[in-house]
Amino acid sequence: MGLTSARRFSALMLTSALVAFAASEARAAFECPVTGGDLVFGQEAKVNSLDMHASSTISTRNIAMHMLEALLTRDEDNNPILELAKSVDVSDDGLVYTFTLRDGIKFHNGKPMTSADVAASFDRYKKVGIESVILSNVASWETPDPMTFVITMSQAQPTFLEDLSSFSVPIVIVPAELTNADPLKLEPVGTGPFEFVEFIADSHVKLKRYEDYVPNEQFEERTGFGGYKVACLDTVTFRIVTEPGARVAGLETGELHAVEDVPQASVARLEEDPNINIVPYENFWIHIATPNFAKPPTDDPLVRKAIQTALDMDEIMEAATDGAYNTNFGFQTQNRAVYSDSGQEFFNLKDADKAKQLLEEAGYNGEELVLLTNRDYTTMYNAALVMQAQLQAIGMNVRLEVQDWPATIATRDNQPDAWNYHFTGWGTNTSLGYLAVFKFLAKPRPIYNFANPEDTVADFDEAYHDMLNLTTFEERAEAFARAQYAVMEHGIALPFGWLTKNQATRANVHNFVPFRIPRMYNVWMETS
Amino acid sequence: MGPYILRRLVSSIPVLFLVTLISFSLMQLVPGDPAILVAGLNATPEEVERVREQLGLNQPFHVQLLSWYANLLRGDLGTSFLLGRDVLEVTIERLPVSISIALYALVLTLLVGILSGVLAALRQNSWVDQAVMTFALIGVSVPNFWLGLMLIVLFAVHLGWLPSGGYVDFRDDLFGWLQATTLPAISLAMLQMGLLARITRSTMLEVLRQDYIRTARAKGLPEHRVVGLHALKNAMIPVVTVIGIIFSLLLSGSVVIETIFSIPGLGSLLGSAILRRDYPVIQGGLLLVATMLLLLNLLVDVLYAYFDPRVRYRDGQ
Repeated sequence: MGLTSARRFSALMLTSALVAFAASEARAAFECPVTGGDLVFGQEAKVNSLDMHASSTISTRNIAMHMLEALLTRDEDNNPILELAKSVDVSDDGLVYTFTLRDGIKFHNGKPMTSADVAASFDRYKKVGIESVILSNVASWETPDPMTFVITMSQAQPTFLEDLSSFSVPIVIVPAELTNADPLKLEPVGTGPFEFVEFIADSHVKLKRYEDYVPNEQFEERTGFGGYKVACLDTVTFRIVTEPGARVAGLETGELHAVEDVPQASVARLEEDPNINIVPYENFWIHIATPNFAKPPTDDPLVRKAIQTALDMDEIMEAATDGAYNTNFGFQTQNRAVYSDSGQEFFNLKDADKAKQLLEEAGYNGEELVLLTNRDYTTMYNAALVMQAQLQAIGMNVRLEVQDWPATIATRDNQPDAWNYHFTGWGTNTSLGYLAVFKFLAKPRPIYNFANPEDTVADFDEAYHDMLNLTTFEERAEAFARAQYAVMEHGIALPFGWLTKNQATRANVHNFVPFRIPRMYNVWMETS
Repeated sequence: MGPYILRRLVSSIPVLFLVTLISFSLMQLVPGDPAILVAGLNATPEEVERVREQLGLNQPFHVQLLSWYANLLRGDLGTSFLLGRDVLEVTIERLPVSISIALYALVLTLLVGILSGVLAALRQNSWVDQAVMTFALIGVSVPNFWLGLMLIVLFAVHLGWLPSGGYVDFRDDLFGWLQATTLPAISLAMLQMGLLARITRSTMLEVLRQDYIRTARAKGLPEHRVVGLHALKNAMIPVVTVIGIIFSLLLSGSVVIETIFSIPGLGSLLGSAILRRDYPVIQGGLLLVATMLLLLNLLVDVLYAYFDPRVRYRDGQ
């Protein structure tokens, strides 16, 4: 199921709600088999702040999205769904969006949510929101009554609801009286199934069940970031455990009931432990390298093609991930409605002889190829090592430039003469969907040509423009396929494969299903 | 002694100024844009620029530096780019965590290092001496992060005696604090124990060869009084001079140990700040650490005078 056009959205949701209602006799909403317990989750990254408007970090989202909700969010298959809004109507010209809020929603401080809070939250997001570009086509918003929020666009944007439902830096709704907070200082008072207890920086964040939470009755079960959410657990403590060995140890001792990211090397051993369940999250991110068109030899399309032709992606991903990967082709996964294998003929060719031929044709004369990578993410470092070896085997002069992660970003952005390929991972954008995945390659600042941003690949630019502006889903999906083909044909990006992120729980923890955040709603734990 | 202490304090000011100037300059030279890290990779150039302006990073180097010093004179160390909190508040709240573990490690270092060094000296060339020196060698050779993980595997996972990580405030639960900090303190102290054992053994051997020790034995004093009253006090003089260095090393070594054991201390804060280019935290944190170390060295010099009455600090000396 996907969002095909804005006007059909409300019809679709209304239909879903009616179907759900009709089926309620046959299938009741989720209920906790066991209620209670204090779950401790081992999180790998530190949390700076719980201000969801002003932080784009995964570590903030992991926790904050248990307390905070938005008008729309994404379901299990990444389709936009209603959350705090019970319906949205779109005018025929696509310029006016009228949201009707769900009834009976209260904030954690007991105050009922109204459209004034929605407006104030949008005001704040416009001012300090990290991705306030979401609202760039919005002319204004009004609150004609406490349960209605109206957005008026300056120009029609067929993909506006997709943007509004983005979970990257969502426009979460908070009480109006809190919205004057400076960036990073917003109190995490929301409408979610858990409420804030305490935050000790670099140690832990503790949440407890919000007793007056109102689940979304348009659904029967949790789905993605939304759906019918229930806090079965009394409390959840997100403990910051950055060292992988310590996370695994904590899981084994039972001090941690679930952890994010188990090293692949520990998986086999832990799988033999009857007290532990390994829960792999496939397709967590695409391992990728992006080229630099401004620096030889990657300014030459034939050289880029030679590089693509030579690479054995299985070998690269095996070394990078210790086997926790797949090399299924595509910038979206096969379960997505938009999935396409367009461009697959350029992927994972492992043809050294043909690559050498292409290099000769290009007149390659031993120019240095610089692979810009980092050790902060060992998968990126290992991928670069193997790529270096494979390219040296076809006669290329390859050097690794290893810096820390922030330095690689600065080098990529500011020193176009210092690198040819930059190693990275695309996680959030690929999971946000086809409209977001190629964002880094698009004008005005395509990462493959920061130095000459006007000198871009026309095929890709045209397809990308169509993707964002054509009115039906089918048209946009076709444009996505064209964009993907252009990416592969011109070597604008070099995908290696999908990384699997291994998560794990103790055996007494149930219904933990990996997602973009470690969802603790609808999870229960046996405590005896 | 008073004027000496005052002079030392005053002379610390240019040292601290140099520390802050060098650290500020170095951080500006290191590649990596804090504005991008705060705004995120998905941010548009306009959003990054807005963040850069909010953080004051669009100002020239000298303006940023002078502004920082001006605020420092008012006791304001700035606001963390990533935490959005006052730097002084953030660093001071973590100070007791790091200091408590460093002190615990120091106590272990002194107890184990000095005792084993004395024992080795008294039993020179015996199996006791060999065992202590082997232990010392292992201590200085084994990386503390590896040791930390091995201690976790043994004492937390297999034996279940101690927690694998986390921190309990000693003000809330002293026993909990002791449990939580024992493995980190041992990991931190191991290297210094080894060094101190070797130093103590050497100095004890030298002292035990002195004429006054022979005289004390000839007078018929019991061995424990010879060692405890005469030999140890004199052997401690060089040891005291390294205690300050040891404590400095224990504090600076806490970055890795705090990461392994998930301890929210100053080391972990500074380590993250460097990786994420949180300039105000780096500046403020380094200033605080440098101040502590200067005061510590002053304390060591005062203690040195206590141990060696021949040393008295007077004007001009």
